[in-house]
Amino acid sequence: MERKKKTGFARYINLVNLGVFVVVTSVSLPIYWLVISSLKQPVAIGASPPQYIPSPFSFANYQQAFSQYGFSQYFINSMIVTVAATILVLGLGSLAGYGLARLPMRGKTTIMLTLLVISLFPGIAVIPPLYLMMRTIGWLNSYQALIVPYTAFNLPFAIWILRNYFLGLPKEMEETGRIDGASPLRIYWSIILPQALPGLFTAGVFTFTACWTEFLMALTLNNSNSFRTIPVGIALFGTPFNIPYGTIFAASVVAVVPIGILVFVFRKSVVSGLTSGAVKG
Amino acid sequence: MVATETKVTEATPTSKAASKKLRDRNQILLARLGWRFTTPSLLVVGLVTIFPISFSVILSLSNVTLSGNGFSLGGFTFNNFSILIHSSEWRYALAFTIFYTIVSVLVEVILGTMIALLMERLSGGRGPMMALLLLPWSIITVISAELWQYIFQGSYGVMQQIFSAVGLGKPVFLGSPTPAIISMMIADIWKTTPFVAVIVLAGLVMLPGDVFEAAAVDGCSGWVMFWKITFPLLRPTIAIAVLFRILQAFGIFDLPFVLTGGGPGTSTTSLAILGYKAMFQNLQFGPGSAVAVSATGLVLIGCLSFLKVFKSQVNSGE
Repeated sequence: MERKKKTGFARYINLVNLGVFVVVTSVSLPIYWLVISSLKQPVAIGASPPQYIPSPFSFANYQQAFSQYGFSQYFINSMIVTVAATILVLGLGSLAGYGLARLPMRGKTTIMLTLLVISLFPGIAVIPPLYLMMRTIGWLNSYQALIVPYTAFNLPFAIWILRNYFLGLPKEMEETGRIDGASPLRIYWSIILPQALPGLFTAGVFTFTACWTEFLMALTLNNSNSFRTIPVGIALFGTPFNIPYGTIFAASVVAVVPIGILVFVFRKSVVSGLTSGAVKG
Repeated sequence: MVATETKVTEATPTSKAASKKLRDRNQILLARLGWRFTTPSLLVVGLVTIFPISFSVILSLSNVTLSGNGFSLGGFTFNNFSILIHSSEWRYALAFTIFYTIVSVLVEVILGTMIALLMERLSGGRGPMMALLLLPWSIITVISAELWQYIFQGSYGVMQQIFSAVGLGKPVFLGSPTPAIISMMIADIWKTTPFVAVIVLAGLVMLPGDVFEAAAVDGCSGWVMFWKITFPLLRPTIAIAVLFRILQAFGIFDLPFVLTGGGPGTSTTSLAILGYKAMFQNLQFGPGSAVAVSATGLVLIGCLSFLKVFKSQVNSGE
């Protein structure tokens, strides 16, 4: 019986495997190309026909990215801005999410809807006034010029994720805490937050990724070389007539690693975030 | 004995009222606390998003002049918008943004759903597959744009090698309008289809299994099963994915900025690119703000027409 079923399904399973094979190759071939090109000798980047496997392997591009193009500064800038914004988002967002999930406030639905709509506005919508405001108060080319907007733009989505997570937590422990006379702030800090770690991870991964990859604000607000983040730095490597692809890809591989690890380790959190309500790219 | 009883019956209403009063007071205190918890976030969000969005409307209706360190607003004017309406560049950018959004989102959703259906059938290794699918999504858009620019490069790009290897000659990709638009769509589809697939897959896994068993017992074919059962059940998930992708694509900036610079000519100039160029290359903040406002308007129209989906989002969590 079992055998017969298997042979009956054999063709079917092959089709699935074939499809999966196509998907895997089309997703990973460009990534292969990115990594492999970063390992070519700088002169081999423009070879025609291209080298499909670098010969010889070379780390010259990596060396160039750090020594000639000052990539380490961009990396540090990105880290500072991203980490600061993520911490702020998680701190403010978990408080707000707790309030919106558990405390009896009026107008919660309106707040949630407004936040959802705001989280979807394109960056260009705020760039003109934000640029003029920052220019007037002298914030252009500073870390806070990005930390503040990144916090504001990622808060709505984080609040969404966290509120939904808090709603799913059992109320018993909170009530025990309340009966024992713990203050709401204490309940939030020592009862709610420890239970909500997975939700915090999800919101954290999303905020981190969004800040790490943001381009338009970083490009317009922090244009000077010493405050550029990775995306801006990479986009402005070279000149329109001489694009140093090897260096760009070496820097890219270094830039992708933190996010790649984060997404791989927390992939369950990411998927739950994508489905916990709001979805953002 | 009697006395105590009356005492009790007398006491009950007052203590009930007292406890109700206490509870009400408690509720009010808790609500006040809730506001104290939420206000910092709302303040930050309001100051850095809602205020600027409204302010950009004012900018778009003024003569904006940049001075040494600040800026000044001239009087109220519709001039910026009339510049837009009479500019063929703006009309093209608007049409391009809408067209680009519709085509790429359509392809992404169809492909993404197909991939999700495939993945669901996969017996093992779904975790690593998921991680692989999330990789393009997590890559910085600027990087994927540089990568695709290298792939489509005109003299040594690998895509040209592939085309000539299968006997299709040496086509131009980024150097002429239509191929450039298609190339840009391919880069976008590569980056976001896996993301759509992950969302749809997550929705697919949560569907009730017994419906499918019943349909299988009734002898439904796979095709019928998809259109009659899977798709209708999946529709809310797909609707959300479509909505978020559409709104995101309306603001597309990073990809054309790096991949094509909005060209050749103005062929891949989206609204965001046009606004950026007006403000930061030509330093015209009035018309630039008007372009930004038109992009915002597009998103707002999108949001309003999907209001039902949004409302269901708010309620689904409760």
